[in-house]
Amino acid sequence: METFVSLKDVKKIYKMGEVEIVAAAGIDFEIQKGEFAVVVGPSGAGKTTVLNILGGMDTATEGSVLVDGNDIAHYSQKQLTAYRRDDIGFVFQFYNLIPNLTALENVELALQICKDPMDAKEVMEEVGLGERLDNFPAQLSGGEQQRVSIARALAKNPKLLLCDEPTGALDYNTGKAILKLLQDTCRNKGMTVVLITHNSAIAPMADRVIRIKNGRVSDIVENPEPVSVETIEW
Amino acid sequence: MKKKKKTTRKDFYMEIRKSLGRFLSILFIVALGVAFFSGIRASEPDMRLSGDSYFDDSSLMDIKAISTYGVTDGDISAMEETEGVAAAEGAYSTDVLYNTSDEQQVLHLMSLQEEMNQVKVSKGRLPKEAGECMADDEAGFQIGDKITMESGTEDPLSDTLVTDTLEVVGLGNSPCYLSYGRGSSAVGDGSISAFLAVPEETFNMEFYTEVYLQVEGAKELLAFTDEYDDLVEEVAERAEETAEVRADARRQEIVDEANEELEEARQELEDGKKESEEQLADAKREIKEAKKKLKDARKQLKDGREQLEDAKETLNKKQAELNTARSEYESGLRKLNEGKAEYEKGKKELKEQKRKAELGSKEGQMEEYRSRLDEGWAGYDQLVQQIDAMEESSMGPEEPGYVQWAATLQGLKAQAKETKSTLNSQEKEYKKNKKSLDAAKKKFEDAEEKLAKSKAELDSAEAELKKAPDQLKSGQEQLDKGRQELADKEKELKDGETRLEENEEKLADARKEYKEGKAEAETEIADAEAEIADAEREIAEIERPKWYVYDRSNLIEYSGFGENAERLGAIGRVFPVLFFLVAALISLTSMTRMVEEQRTSIGTMKALGYGKFAIASKYMGYAFLATVGGSIIGVLAGEKILPYIIVYAYGILYRHLPAILVPYQWKYAVMASGAAVFCTMLATFLACYKELGAQPAVLMRPPSPRNGKRVFLERIGFIWRHLNFTWKSTIRNLMRYKKRFFMTIFGIGGCMALMLVGFGLKDSCYEIAELQYAEIQFYDGSIYLEEDITEEERAELAEALDSEENITQYMDINMQSVTLVNGKKERAAYECVFGSVDEIPDFVDFHDRRTKEQYELSDEGVIVSEKTAKLLEAEEGDTVEIKDEENGNKKIVIEHICENYMGHYIYFTPAYYEKSYGAAPEYNSIFFSVDDACSSKQMEETGQNILKLNGALSVSYTHDIEKQLDDMLRSLNLVIIVLIISAGMLAFVVLYNLNTVNIAERKRELATLKVLGFYNGEVAQYVYRENILLTLLGSVVGVVLGKFLHLFIIETVEVDSAMFGRNINPPSFLYSLVLTVAFSLLINGVMYFKLKRINMVESLKSIE
Repeated sequence: METFVSLKDVKKIYKMGEVEIVAAAGIDFEIQKGEFAVVVGPSGAGKTTVLNILGGMDTATEGSVLVDGNDIAHYSQKQLTAYRRDDIGFVFQFYNLIPNLTALENVELALQICKDPMDAKEVMEEVGLGERLDNFPAQLSGGEQQRVSIARALAKNPKLLLCDEPTGALDYNTGKAILKLLQDTCRNKGMTVVLITHNSAIAPMADRVIRIKNGRVSDIVENPEPVSVETIEW
Repeated sequence: MKKKKKTTRKDFYMEIRKSLGRFLSILFIVALGVAFFSGIRASEPDMRLSGDSYFDDSSLMDIKAISTYGVTDGDISAMEETEGVAAAEGAYSTDVLYNTSDEQQVLHLMSLQEEMNQVKVSKGRLPKEAGECMADDEAGFQIGDKITMESGTEDPLSDTLVTDTLEVVGLGNSPCYLSYGRGSSAVGDGSISAFLAVPEETFNMEFYTEVYLQVEGAKELLAFTDEYDDLVEEVAERAEETAEVRADARRQEIVDEANEELEEARQELEDGKKESEEQLADAKREIKEAKKKLKDARKQLKDGREQLEDAKETLNKKQAELNTARSEYESGLRKLNEGKAEYEKGKKELKEQKRKAELGSKEGQMEEYRSRLDEGWAGYDQLVQQIDAMEESSMGPEEPGYVQWAATLQGLKAQAKETKSTLNSQEKEYKKNKKSLDAAKKKFEDAEEKLAKSKAELDSAEAELKKAPDQLKSGQEQLDKGRQELADKEKELKDGETRLEENEEKLADARKEYKEGKAEAETEIADAEAEIADAEREIAEIERPKWYVYDRSNLIEYSGFGENAERLGAIGRVFPVLFFLVAALISLTSMTRMVEEQRTSIGTMKALGYGKFAIASKYMGYAFLATVGGSIIGVLAGEKILPYIIVYAYGILYRHLPAILVPYQWKYAVMASGAAVFCTMLATFLACYKELGAQPAVLMRPPSPRNGKRVFLERIGFIWRHLNFTWKSTIRNLMRYKKRFFMTIFGIGGCMALMLVGFGLKDSCYEIAELQYAEIQFYDGSIYLEEDITEEERAELAEALDSEENITQYMDINMQSVTLVNGKKERAAYECVFGSVDEIPDFVDFHDRRTKEQYELSDEGVIVSEKTAKLLEAEEGDTVEIKDEENGNKKIVIEHICENYMGHYIYFTPAYYEKSYGAAPEYNSIFFSVDDACSSKQMEETGQNILKLNGALSVSYTHDIEKQLDDMLRSLNLVIIVLIISAGMLAFVVLYNLNTVNIAERKRELATLKVLGFYNGEVAQYVYRENILLTLLGSVVGVVLGKFLHLFIIETVEVDSAMFGRNINPPSFLYSLVLTVAFSLLINGVMYFKLKRINMVESLKSIE
């Protein structure tokens, strides 16, 4: 197993006038390729900062962020965009679908900018929405919307799938189904998945659990035998 | 309670601070709208005000009155006493010609007035005496220039002026001339180039040429307003009444004067009559006398002849007598000769006897004896004498010698005694001898005497006889002379007769002459009487002087100024409304968006238990503050800047406006602000109302997302399939946010429409000169004829026109100003009758504006210009009337309505004219066309040549009118530019605002795209695509909207006397489009930075 993602002493300090707010005070962790990693921590711990930095949406004040051997911490905005475009698949908490594109079109929207896309319909079928291709997001349930969102992320064939509380807006069962989809994707496709959540209950399903507290990594647990989502209750 | 208020207030201020951009954008757009609305609207009164203050400062007259007979002092005081007239002042003016090196100009001379129409000197000084002048500072005169004037009429210049040369001592301007135009004149080429102000003394006229009036209270009123016009009109009407009275009075004066003259003439006639009667009587008498003389002469002649006859008879008698005398003489001569012979015999006998008597010797003896005797006597005397001498020298006895002396003396005495006695005896003897001798002698002497007596008798007979031939001769001569005389007499008589005859003839002539003279005198008298009668009639017919009372609209450009202000007002009524509407819509969108954004906050407040009013008041307050702030800024800035710019722009046309007055027009300020506040408040209230009605729980939840919808375009598969997703999204987006869609379209369309209207206005206004004079009326000028032109003058004119090389064609025209009536509508128009129907297409083109269908003037009806028909509300086929108050209205049929922009026309054929009027038209003007190659200068020269002819009154050139029109419209141009710039600004604000709202609403979507890895450019494209589409759609709407708006504004803006073009030229569409797109692009450029700044973290946030 090779190290796919490696954060070393990543600090993020926001300056609000005189006051400095330290969002990340030196985060170190590594994720192997094909791992299903869960970043877990309470609100305000710095999870989102990690996600932002890892997703190329924000840059670190200090430290290095190696993704597939490239240090994105020093990328320019343009490089970051290219990085997001080609290497990252993003699943949002609130799905963030373009409301006036159909499910299929939402997927295709992402595909049209990427180098080596998958077939949109296939992906849709993979996420179990083969029947609802032409529905608008508003016509879909939350779970379905999230599936579309995942499909959109996957279709790009990213190196890294970043999920920000993908179940946060979903009910329990739907949430489970989504997590299952993500886990299956990881397993079946060897996709590296980073899932950010405040819900530590789902930690057992991950290959690696990174706990963050007060802007630092408090604990990294490698789970050699992750359990299936179905077996987890919370 | 206090606390709560404090926090809500704090929240309110925080809200403003937080959303300063929105607050300012509302503020700004309201400011813009209000500024534009109130600014443009205020321009109209401001322009009037600026004009009015100039007029007031220079004491411009309110009313001008002129009389055809001149204005007397009596007229002026009568005018001054007219109710409502504050002051009246007489003035002089006249037009003269002035030859510069290359052209002839017409100058308008006017007298400097003390009270009114104050000229303003810009350089130099006012003229002080005759011979000096202040020249028009627009005309290029220099101080020190000498202007030599010429009379433009047949009358010499000295009839009107005391000098023919004026020196320019100053340059300046007059309130009578607001702009470049100087008006027209009856002299020279007909258009005045400049005015000259001169002192009154310069004029040499008996009467003033005009009187100027100022109306009481007019100064306080604003010129060009209805109040002013009404007041002046009222007084003008009274002035007209006064003028009527004065006209009568003046007529009476003239009639009196004429009557006096007539009386004189009558007197003269009377005198003449008398004189001629006298003369005739004299002549008659003379003739009578002559007749009598002739009669006498004839008698004399008759007598003469009788005498002549008598004389002849006498002469004949005398001749006979003479003849007798001659024969007597001859017998006498014979007797004489006999007597002579007898005498000779007697003489001889006597001689014999005598010889026998020896008388002679005896006598000798005797004589000898005698002489001896005498000697003896002589000796004796001597003795005596000696004695005497001795006695005398007597010596006394005492003396010696005495004794001797005495002895001698004694001896002597004794001797004397003896001698004496002898002598005495001898004497006796002598006497005795002597006696016997004497007796013998006597005897002989008697015989001799007897003989001598017979001899004498013979001699006398002979003498008498000798005389007789002479007598006879002289008798004969006398007779001859008598005969001669007779002949002479006869000749004389004959001459006399001839003379008599001649005299008789003369008499006859004289009689004839007399008759003729009499007749002549009678005719003359009759003529004179007729003349007097004529004069009487003429006096009776003496027309009252015609008074013309004008208000200021008679001033050149004055009405233009007012019309410009009015036009501005018309633009101000329409144009800013749209502007304002767009501004109101934008603030409505902003506020709606704000309320929507604040949904959760509203919910929270509601949940916390705040009342609807408390919650709403925040937003209402927000809107109120922004609107009021914007209004204040807008009013303060707009009412100063915009009117200033606009009036300043007009200042280019009206150069002498000394000051631009732009006071705040609170009416429009309140109007604009009120409307703005009302609109935004209403919008905010409506936006709040919807949200406030909802339950707090509902408000706390995000609004249910709007459904994506399939759009119509998707049904057209082959297009849809070829679109990529961004396009699909764009199109669906456009359809989804309908409100925004329409708002944007309306905003962009509105701006585009405004710009299009701006450009279109320019097109329409500029085009009319071109259209009117290139496509409708082709002729290059018209010549107005004298009212009393004679046929010869007409012929002369025609000849001149024929001979002018430059003139290619001309036609007689009857131009007459008439009033058309259709029901209650009335409209003044020019009635135009063409002299030659065939040639009409060479002068005027009749066609429909829309269909371009060509019309021909027929004998069945008239063609009426479009605007005229419109104002009359008449259509083709309608019958309208020409007003004729004296003879009743004339009915005419409108056969066609033709395109026409300038003025009102009604075109006739001569035949239809005759049919309508019952009389043939009298041609009072001539249209002419010149060669295309002919320059305007050549044309003017030609015009001047024609004006020199008697029949021509004035010439006007089409290009002059065109230029005038252009001048008028140039000012509009600047207003249009202001409009275009404002519309552009509005476009900018609208687009900016809408884009800002658009981006704000879709921040999350755009952030998501960014997260998905869209480059900034791609994200921008995603948005731009919509904007571009909206801009294009908006432009299309703008074109349609603009076209209608343009039409509407044109109809509002255009003055009654002209029709503006209804067209917008293609370049204008292009400019508007390019400008709109340019603004759109500019906004998009600005938006790019806004898009770039969108934080991707937004995408992670929950939906609000």
